[in-house]
Amino acid sequence: MATVSTVLNRERAPVPVPKPGSPRRRVLLLADIVGLSPTLLLYGLFIVVPVVFAVFLSFTSWNVIGTLRWVGFANWSRFFSDPGAHHALLVTLELVVFSWLVETPLAMALGLFIAGTQRYRSVYAAIYLLPLLLSTAGIALMWEGVLSPEFGGLAWFSFHLKLSFLNQNWLGSPSLTLYVLVVIIAWQFVPFHALIYQAGRRTIPNELYEAARIDGATLAQTFRYVTLPQLRYTVVTSSMLIVVGSLTYFDIIFILTQGGPGDTTRVLSLYMYDTGFLQTEFGYASVLAVVLAVLGIAVALLLIRATGFGKMDSGREGIS
Amino acid sequence: MIRESLSRIGSRRFGAALAAFVVAVFLVAVPETGASTTTVRSATPKATINVWMVDNGKNVDNLWTQLATTFDAAHPGDHVNVSITPSSSNTYQVKLLSALGTKSPPALFFSWGGGALQQFIQAGKAQPFADAGKNDAGKPSWTKSFLASSLGPVTFNKKVYGIPILGTQPVLFFYNKTVLAKYHLAYPKTLPQLLSDVKTLAAHNTTLIGLGNVDNWEGLMYLEYFTDRAGGPQAFLNVEANKKAAWSNPAILSALTDIQTLVKDKAFETGYDSISWGTGFVDALVYQGVCAMELMGDWDLGVMLSDNASFVNSGKLGIGEFPTVPGGKGNLNDLEGNTTNYAAMATHISAAQKYVAEQFAASVFSSHAYAADEVKNGLVPMIAGSAGLLKTSPLKRYLVPVYNDVAKAPYFQYSWDQALGPVKATPMVTNLGKVFDLTETPAQFVKIMNGYQTGS
Repeated sequence: MATVSTVLNRERAPVPVPKPGSPRRRVLLLADIVGLSPTLLLYGLFIVVPVVFAVFLSFTSWNVIGTLRWVGFANWSRFFSDPGAHHALLVTLELVVFSWLVETPLAMALGLFIAGTQRYRSVYAAIYLLPLLLSTAGIALMWEGVLSPEFGGLAWFSFHLKLSFLNQNWLGSPSLTLYVLVVIIAWQFVPFHALIYQAGRRTIPNELYEAARIDGATLAQTFRYVTLPQLRYTVVTSSMLIVVGSLTYFDIIFILTQGGPGDTTRVLSLYMYDTGFLQTEFGYASVLAVVLAVLGIAVALLLIRATGFGKMDSGREGIS
Repeated sequence: MIRESLSRIGSRRFGAALAAFVVAVFLVAVPETGASTTTVRSATPKATINVWMVDNGKNVDNLWTQLATTFDAAHPGDHVNVSITPSSSNTYQVKLLSALGTKSPPALFFSWGGGALQQFIQAGKAQPFADAGKNDAGKPSWTKSFLASSLGPVTFNKKVYGIPILGTQPVLFFYNKTVLAKYHLAYPKTLPQLLSDVKTLAAHNTTLIGLGNVDNWEGLMYLEYFTDRAGGPQAFLNVEANKKAAWSNPAILSALTDIQTLVKDKAFETGYDSISWGTGFVDALVYQGVCAMELMGDWDLGVMLSDNASFVNSGKLGIGEFPTVPGGKGNLNDLEGNTTNYAAMATHISAAQKYVAEQFAASVFSSHAYAADEVKNGLVPMIAGSAGLLKTSPLKRYLVPVYNDVAKAPYFQYSWDQALGPVKATPMVTNLGKVFDLTETPAQFVKIMNGYQTGS
C-alpha cells in the first residue's frame, strides 16, 4: 500500500510554473513552436485545409471536371429536405448504437480474460486477436465467402448438415443485413478494443482485488465495485473510438452490400461517396461530409463532457 | 591521369555528337525514297500512352494487351500501356472521373458513350478523334469502316468522340438448354409462360432466373425491357427528353409492377441483391444448372467463353428474346442494351500522345484482323463487312442469331443509365434496387424520379 501511495503522491507533486514574460518561458515557447511545427504543418495540410475546402465546396456546384459555381445555401437547404440523407443519417445512428452495444461488452470480457492469469491464456489470446492481422478488404471478402447464398460456407453447412436456419439471405435481406454488418464489424474491431481493456485492467492495483476478497465480495461485486469504476476512462476511450469510428465507417459496407439491399445499409459516408463519385455532385457531397464531421466532433465532445473524461481525475482517489 | 581520361572521354563524346549530327543532316537531306522509312519515322512524334479498359473476360483482356505489344513492336519508340480495371463499372467510372480531372489522364479510355461521355466533353476533358497527324477532328476516315448505327452514342455536334472497340451488345436471355429440357419447358416467349415456368422449376428446387443486383444496373435491364414491351420506346424517350412527369407513364408503372411480381413469385435466386454480376457468380449459377437463365448483355457470351468454354461450345447455351407482356404495345423484336463500347480520347494529353493514340486506335480497332479476333471471342463486330466472318465461326450458332436480332430490330434502346448520365442514373438505379427489394412501391419510385424531371 505504501508503494502505491508514494507513487500517487509523487504524481501530485506541484510543477513549478515560470512567470509570464520570464526568459525561460520565452525559450519554452520557441522550443514548443519548433518542436510542434512538423505536426502542425501535417495537421494543417491534411486536416485543416481539406476541412476548410469541404466547407467551401458545400456552397458550390462542382462535378470535379467542370467549372465550379457558387450556389450559396442551395446544397444546405437540399440537405434539410432530402429523405435519402435523413435515411442515411438514421442508418448511421443505428450502426453506431448497435456497434457500441455489441462491441463494448465483448471487448471488455475478452480484454479482462487476456489480462488474467489462466492457463493457455496466451494461446487463446493469439486466436482471438487474429482479426487484427487481416486487412479490411480481406475480412469483407472472407465474410462474403462465408455468407454467400448457394455457394457460401453457411449455405454448405445448411445443406449438408440440414441446419436450415443457416440458410438465410444474410447480405440481401432488408430486415437482417444491417445486423449482419454490425456482427462483422464487431468481429473486426473487438480484438482491438480488447487490447485497450487488457491494458486498462493491468493498471488496476491487485491490492484492490485483495481488499475485495478479504471483504468477501463475490465475482460480480468485485467487477461492479472494483473493475468497472477503475476502467471508467478505458470505457470512455474505447466508446469514443467505437462511436466516432462507426459514424464514419465505410469499407466493409461498401465491399459487401454497397448500401443495399435497396438503401437499408446506406450509411451517411456511403451516401456521400455515391453523391460525390457516382452522381458527380461534389457540392452536395461536401455538405454530407461537413455534417458527418460536425456530428463526429459533437459526439466526441459530448462523451468527454458527460463522463468527466476531460478532467482526467485519478481513478485511484483515496487509495493509500 | 584523371584529366587525360576526362579529356579522352570528352573527345569521344564530341566525336559521337558530331557523327550523330552528320547522320541527322543526312537523313533530313535525303529525299523520300524507298530507303527513307527512317526519315518518316523520325518525323513522327514518339510517346508513351496509357489506355484504360474495363474487364471483358480474360480472352478479350489478353487480346487488348497483346495488340498493344504488337503495336509497340511495329512502332519503335512508342509505347502503349493497357491497364484493365477489374470489378464493377462503378469502380471504373470513379477512377476515370478522378483521372480526367488531373493533368495526366489516360490518352484513351473505355467509354459507354451517351450522357457520361457528353459530360466529359462539356467539361473539356474529352476531344474528338482525327486521323493521326491530320486536321479532320471529329471526322476521321475510319468512321467509314464501322456500321453507321454504331457511332450514334459517341457523336455530338456531328463530331465523333469514340471508336467502337467491342461488338454490338443487345441484352438477351442466356439460358441453360439442359435445365429447360429436363423439365420439358420451352423457352418462355410471354410473361405468363415465364411465371408458370418459375412455379414448375420451384417444384424441383430450381430457380428460373439468376440475377446479381448489388450494383443495381443489372436489375435496370428488366425495367428497360418491361417498359418497352408494355408501351414501346416512347415512354423512355419522354424521360430522356426531360419531359415533366415522364416517369408517370403507365408503361413504366406496369414495368415496375411486373418486376415486383417476379420478385414475389421468387423468380430470382435467394440473395440476388447481395451478388455482383462481375464476380462470375451468376454465370456459374446458369452453367451449373442452379438457375435456368439470366438476362445479360451480349458481352456475356465472351465472358462465358473465358470461364466455361465447354458449356458454350457444347451448345448447351441458348439465347432468347425478352418475353412479351399481356396487352403490351411493344414489339418482341425491340432490343435494349449498349450499341457497343468505345475508346474515347482525353483532351489534356501531349500532341505526340494524341498522334500515337489516334494511330493506335485506327490501326487496331477498325481493322478486319480485329473483327476476326472479336468473332473468335464471341463478339458480333460493328466493323462493316464482318457478317461473313460470323457464318464461318465455330460460334455461329450464337453469333448469327444475335446479328440477325440486331439487324431486324425495329428499335434498339441504348441503356438507360448511360443515356441519362450520372446525375439521374444514380438515383434511378438506387430506387430501382428498393423496388426489387419490395421496400419501395412503383408509385413511390415514379414520384421520386419525377422529381428529377426539370422540363415542361
